[in-house]
Amino acid sequence: MGVHQPTRRDFLKTAGTAMAAPYVITSTALGNDDRPPASDRIVMGGIGIGNMGRGDMGAFRSRGDVQYVAVCDVRKNFRDAAKAKTDEHYGNQDCQAYNDFRELLARDDIDAVHVATPDHWHAAIVIEACRHGKDVYCQKPETRTLREGPLMVEAARRYSRVVSGGSQRVLEDYRGVVDKCWGGQLGAIKSINVNVGPLSQPCNLPAETVPSEMDWDLWLGPAPWAPYNKARCDGNFGTSGGSWRSYVDYSGGGMTDWGAHHFGGATFAVDVRELQPAEVVYHDDAEGKYLEYRYPGGIVLTHNRPGKGNLDVEGTPGETRPAKPVPTYKGQGGIYGDFIECVKTRETPFRDIEMAVNTVLVCHLGIAAYQLQRSLKWDAARQQFTGDEEANRLLDRARREPWQV
Amino acid sequence: MLNQAFDRLQSYDWGTDPGELKSIDEAVVATCGDAAARQDLETRLAAVLKTDASRAAKDFVCRKLMVIGTAASVPALAALLSQEELSHMARFALERIPDSQAAAALRTALKKTSSALQVGIISSLGTRQDAESVTALAALVDQSDQAVARAAALALGTIGTPEAAQALAGARPADAEVRLAATDASLACAEQLLASGDKVSALAMYKKFAGGDRPKHVRLAATRGMLACAGK
Repeated sequence: MGVHQPTRRDFLKTAGTAMAAPYVITSTALGNDDRPPASDRIVMGGIGIGNMGRGDMGAFRSRGDVQYVAVCDVRKNFRDAAKAKTDEHYGNQDCQAYNDFRELLARDDIDAVHVATPDHWHAAIVIEACRHGKDVYCQKPETRTLREGPLMVEAARRYSRVVSGGSQRVLEDYRGVVDKCWGGQLGAIKSINVNVGPLSQPCNLPAETVPSEMDWDLWLGPAPWAPYNKARCDGNFGTSGGSWRSYVDYSGGGMTDWGAHHFGGATFAVDVRELQPAEVVYHDDAEGKYLEYRYPGGIVLTHNRPGKGNLDVEGTPGETRPAKPVPTYKGQGGIYGDFIECVKTRETPFRDIEMAVNTVLVCHLGIAAYQLQRSLKWDAARQQFTGDEEANRLLDRARREPWQV
Repeated sequence: MLNQAFDRLQSYDWGTDPGELKSIDEAVVATCGDAAARQDLETRLAAVLKTDASRAAKDFVCRKLMVIGTAASVPALAALLSQEELSHMARFALERIPDSQAAAALRTALKKTSSALQVGIISSLGTRQDAESVTALAALVDQSDQAVARAAALALGTIGTPEAAQALAGARPADAEVRLAATDASLACAEQLLASGDKVSALAMYKKFAGGDRPKHVRLAATRGMLACAGK
């Protein structure tokens, strides 16, 4: 290993999100007595209005400090329904519906977008949104490949954008474990386990007729071409077939889909969310098949360790440590409110994209270890595997033209 | 079992049980560390690309060559770069094969493919950070084809060398989206120049974007960069 050469990533890391520059929030909406003045409202649009996107849209649109003006989905019936709901909410016809996210991002009046497309689209859209000066709330898992994460962070930092990952579960679902760890009563934390899966699989479903309302080419986007099949692109939450979450071209499977939640909670609980593992050790022995992620500083995160429950923590019996204040959301309204508050104040959101990327990185390192069936060393500074050319081929996947990140 | 899987590959198509090819997947893992066995597997896979096997079968082969392909597979993959149905999957492998012959094949194909496929090849050259393609990419940034010009600009930003920075500095794209891409790429190059210690060149690039009618977020990025050049 040579001396670390500083990269543009290093510069962007130290420069930070906040700048002493005022941010004028634009809006064309009229106000009323119950809502902040137009000039204080964040103008938003949504890209991907399926199962999760509808929920995100509802959460943002219901806020008095948001003016929701645009929806985008490659399925006409979905975007028309989203527009109809939004128009009903505001009592007008102002919401614009788009098939192509690029048209939405080109609007100068939109301050921020939320992204809830299938995972294989996240990076390209988030990066393009940053290029167009938008703040972004992106559903988890934020990346489909290891290479995408640093590029998303780079774009966010370059333009001082507020980019929040998703997963309200990190702070909310695992609070008991978080409080115990941060409260100090477990002493020095040694390890934590996550049980999650499965990995995604190849999809070879037969061709079906493309529905007239679906832009299949745009749904595929950067993923390899394949014939339309309803089960290939269904947005249900299954990960064992019959949904895009099951298939390797669009998702990492349960490993990333629920892994973003569980690993997010685990890395938060043991306070390594700003770090990346140095090594992932692959076990396939008498005990079973599982992984150990070894972090700088000594903490170990295990995946599917036999005999361990999800978010089982190993502390140091008999020892206590001083309590640390638990980071939490800013503003009001959970993770959505946190994002909006940070858009206004230019603070760093709870699920800042860098921490979200660090979480999904754990998922992707694990997928690589399981795929290659061996242990891997990870160089966080260079964002590559150490001494494993074959593993480094898995850092990214060539995107179908015309898409790139 | 492996021979059966290769036989099955000849009639493989969308809708076929992917489990029938499982032996090939297992061989990819099992041949790690066995150079002779790995070479044999690669040769057999690359040979499928020259047959009239289906698009689905060749898609499968390209995915395996992404993991185990070497210079030996480059000719078979390169032959697919000009084919609309298979160009992307050829790049699926070529983009990840470290050997310089993979990059050379992409550069050669750049001059021989339709503009639609060129965009993908440009993207792969950028992802490979192929410094040797900077001159060719520079010539494409001012092209009238918006998709090609935009792709070339972004690829230069990803390559990020001083030569790429120079090429971007000289670009004058007319299209707004190409200009945005060229701006982003220029800022990326400036970051790389700054990180490598060339503050003078970085500052010159940042100054271009700090004023005038640039979008606010671009001026913000450039101003931050200028402050960083001044050590602030």
